[in-house]
Amino acid sequence: MIFKLENLSYRYSDGTLALSEVSLSFARGERIALLGTNGSGKTTLLNHLIGILKPSSGNIYFDDKPLAYDAKSLQNLRKRVGFVFQDPNDQLFAPTVKQDVAFGPLNLGQTPEQVKKMVDEALETVGMSEFKEKPPHFLSLGQKKRVALAGVLAMQPEVIIMDEPTSNLDPRGTSEILRLLLQLNKGKGITLILATHDVDMVPLFANKLYILNKGKLVAHGEPKQIFSDTELIRQVNLRSPRLTHLFEVLNKKNKLPIDEPLPLTIGEARKEILRLIELSKNQKKI
Amino acid sequence: MSHSDLYAEVDRSAYTNALAKNSPITKTFFALSALAIGVSAQSFVVPIIVFILCTCLSLGFAKVKPRLYLGLFVYPTLMLILSCIILALFFGSGQSLIDIPLPWTTWAIYKSGISISVNTFFRVEGALSCLFFLVLTTSINDLCVLLRRIHMPQVMVEMSMMIYRYIFLFLEITEKMILAQKLRLRRSGWLSSIRSLAMLIGSLFIRTLDQGERTLVAMTARGYGGEIRILDDFPAPRKIALLGIAFFDVLLIVLIFLTLNIGVV
Repeated sequence: MIFKLENLSYRYSDGTLALSEVSLSFARGERIALLGTNGSGKTTLLNHLIGILKPSSGNIYFDDKPLAYDAKSLQNLRKRVGFVFQDPNDQLFAPTVKQDVAFGPLNLGQTPEQVKKMVDEALETVGMSEFKEKPPHFLSLGQKKRVALAGVLAMQPEVIIMDEPTSNLDPRGTSEILRLLLQLNKGKGITLILATHDVDMVPLFANKLYILNKGKLVAHGEPKQIFSDTELIRQVNLRSPRLTHLFEVLNKKNKLPIDEPLPLTIGEARKEILRLIELSKNQKKI
Repeated sequence: MSHSDLYAEVDRSAYTNALAKNSPITKTFFALSALAIGVSAQSFVVPIIVFILCTCLSLGFAKVKPRLYLGLFVYPTLMLILSCIILALFFGSGQSLIDIPLPWTTWAIYKSGISISVNTFFRVEGALSCLFFLVLTTSINDLCVLLRRIHMPQVMVEMSMMIYRYIFLFLEITEKMILAQKLRLRRSGWLSSIRSLAMLIGSLFIRTLDQGERTLVAMTARGYGGEIRILDDFPAPRKIALLGIAFFDVLLIVLIFLTLNIGVV
């Protein structure tokens, strides 16, 4: 287990209980989605994983060792766990793209030659090499997000945490980021932890889904299994992916014999529709 | 051109001009030495040479848009003309050139006053052209690396880097806020415009504090330990270029001595 949380609770100084008794564990190489409405505690949870927030009670284990909060341990943690913030403007502070991506590796104490290599590789991976010498304010939001990801990639982390990776992106920007993330997970074995409220994105990306509601972990498991529990999804003020919803309606209102679990992606939906067509053909023959 | 457009244009030029890839050491050495020499000259001859040279370099070699380059001169020059008029009319001593009798005194305009005025005008224009050459051809990133190399205090360089980055962000935010106020029919009366401005500044101030905090968290997450390290990889200056500039500087200094006594009137 790369991360393990035991009865984690966190109370902000104004008294709001942001997380309450959350226990979960993330395995290496997983693609994890934390799903919840605004204010459900996703970001608070993520901030705990890189030691920015300290739990009010409960324990956090990283790589089976309890998280330590001295400067050296935190430095080591942040070397291995990269964090991409929701708003790239929070993250990009340097006058040029290159300088910003170099920030992390330089903090790791690498030589300038190594840093240059790491910067080039990271920018190559996210497809932003040609913008190397440009200042961040020349870039679009999607490009900024990719540079922010490069800044984290350049540190060669084992885990990448992203807060709302696709918020405010256009369809193309969204699919590019998702493709990139899948590629990193499959190619380099990087564990991915994403917080999102974009339910349509989850099935395309995650193989583990955790649902947070009002600071509590209410469900976890495979996306397919969780989205089948339509009652629960509604209770926590989320909705099913559009496609899943369509099949649910077809099943309940039109009494079509849809197989459980309901399809989540276009591929699954296609299969199900073809199966239904086949089924009705056979019935006519009889 | 609105103000923020002008800043953005200057910034764009610093990254995209034809001399952007040249060593910032060469460019800074040239601009600062020419500035020092131009300002210290007693007559207007050397400053005019400096001005012509910087203008040629900016427009001819760096290929800065003439509209942008000349646009930068407009406001400082207006200020300068006003100051020089005052210098010419009210300063100086010795033999007066014109005496204007007034009922209560005599207003004298001096030869030396006019000479100071004309020399000041050209010295300032020459100095401006040096600085504009520098800002239009050298990016902030390069300047920061350079400042680090000459061992400027860390905190000053870090502050400049971050201020530079966030000026553009806050300009954008300010523009959006003004637009939002306008769309909700911000009244144009003097008092209410002051009130709108106060609200704008207030919320902008809170935004800056908030942004600072979030940036610090983001930097911490990437291993920030109290010091921003900068990747220093700009090209070494060509020796021949530095030598050329030094040689030229010597020539200008000689010229200063030769033109010591050239006056206007």
